[in-house]
Amino acid sequence: MKILKLSKDKLDFFASVLQRFGEVHAPVEDNGEFVFRRLARWSEARLDYQRTILPLKKYFLPPRETLLEYRPGTGYVPAERDLEARLVLFGVHACDIYALNILDRVFTGRYADPYYETRRRNIAIIGIDCRPDERCFCRSMRADFVDRGFDLFFHDLGDAYLTIVGTALGDDMVLATGPLFSPVTAADIEEYKRRSAGKRAAFRLEVEIRDLPEIFEMEYDSGIWDELGERCLSCGSCSVVCPTCYCFDVHDEVELAGNGGRRVRTWDSCLFSTHALVAGGENFRKSRASRIKFRYYHKQRGFVAEYGRPSCVGCGRCIAACPVGIDITQVIDTLRGVLHAGPQ
Amino acid sequence: MNPSGKTILIIDDDADFAEALGAALEAAGFRVLRARDGHQGLKLAKLEAPDLVLMDIIMSERTEGFFAIQEFRRTPSLASTPIFVLSSLYDAVADFRVAPEAGWLAHDAFFSKPVDLEELIRAIRQRLGLNAAVREGTG
Repeated sequence: MKILKLSKDKLDFFASVLQRFGEVHAPVEDNGEFVFRRLARWSEARLDYQRTILPLKKYFLPPRETLLEYRPGTGYVPAERDLEARLVLFGVHACDIYALNILDRVFTGRYADPYYETRRRNIAIIGIDCRPDERCFCRSMRADFVDRGFDLFFHDLGDAYLTIVGTALGDDMVLATGPLFSPVTAADIEEYKRRSAGKRAAFRLEVEIRDLPEIFEMEYDSGIWDELGERCLSCGSCSVVCPTCYCFDVHDEVELAGNGGRRVRTWDSCLFSTHALVAGGENFRKSRASRIKFRYYHKQRGFVAEYGRPSCVGCGRCIAACPVGIDITQVIDTLRGVLHAGPQ
Repeated sequence: MNPSGKTILIIDDDADFAEALGAALEAAGFRVLRARDGHQGLKLAKLEAPDLVLMDIIMSERTEGFFAIQEFRRTPSLASTPIFVLSSLYDAVADFRVAPEAGWLAHDAFFSKPVDLEELIRAIRQRLGLNAAVREGTG
């Protein structure tokens, strides 16, 4: 592992040279919120951002994409446009990188998704430190630190970034920028450790995930699910903003003239009333309570059984997005019988 | 007057430099447009479709030109418009030593300021196919 230092006053030049490796996207402010977007100029980047509205899955699993097109005579033609676009995502928080590592298990495992895999290969990730706010509980979900899934990671040292080189591509980026980077000193390492401890101490929201799958198992018939079902609007906001919710729907759009069509994949949500609707009209999760219960069980229990850890990374987006104030940490605490004193 | 039939867009926040350069280009037979930053330059270029762009780097932001070049390149009507960079970048930022030829800058030529006007105009004419003798001379 290579660890270097980059002075903050050189960051703009580093970002400029990165354009060799792809279109540079970074968090920018938009109406008081933050979104990842292509930079038209360096000053648009807001590396001090809190969470973005949408997570990075929008780059790897777009909200809507054409998978293939079909025409009479030529048959099916894969739609591969834009797949090969090379991007550099600059300023990604650890929890969002962790989320991508989780999505990798789903989309690059036994049933590999070539669209996702290609984008993952062509999109570079540059991580950056963050400070937790009142909705962050990534430390509880063990996602406040990542040791893989990025090409470079910048840890704030005050006037410089301690830079972890994560991949050969990251090393190429460092080499391409010539003398911009310098070796770390003993003082830099001490400062890194001091700030790292400070970040750990800054978390105000915590949940206990130890034995959580067992608690879920025991509370399968708890009345809390009906109570949540009464509050939940089934709007799907929580799953849209979740960095690891990956449910999608696939449908064919046939051109009215009958000369072909396309197969389209769009984001779906297990909160939607049609999510478990199958041919013949049967719906396996008719009630809102059953749908929100399914979402919690999939993320906190089913995913553990399949992949060894919950798929939640504690980014806090679902808490911020829920229009009726359903808070996952409070749900977990209620299941555990813990009186919650967190933010309302 | 535009005897050459070619339009050059100068994007530079140094009004005096842009004025002097523009006058020299007009004297050489070009139509000249001027913009003071990348945003204005891109807007003007979309309207006027210049034959060649002369781009400064350090403007209201010191990396503005880098990003402005990317904006040109991703605009279909301007993607292949030649861009010559005119900048004092390597003098102004001593510790930035990544050569423009390293492949990270989607430009066509780089000239360090102060620019040799004769050399620049020769290069422009060559790039726009206005000077057969020079083209043959440089292979």
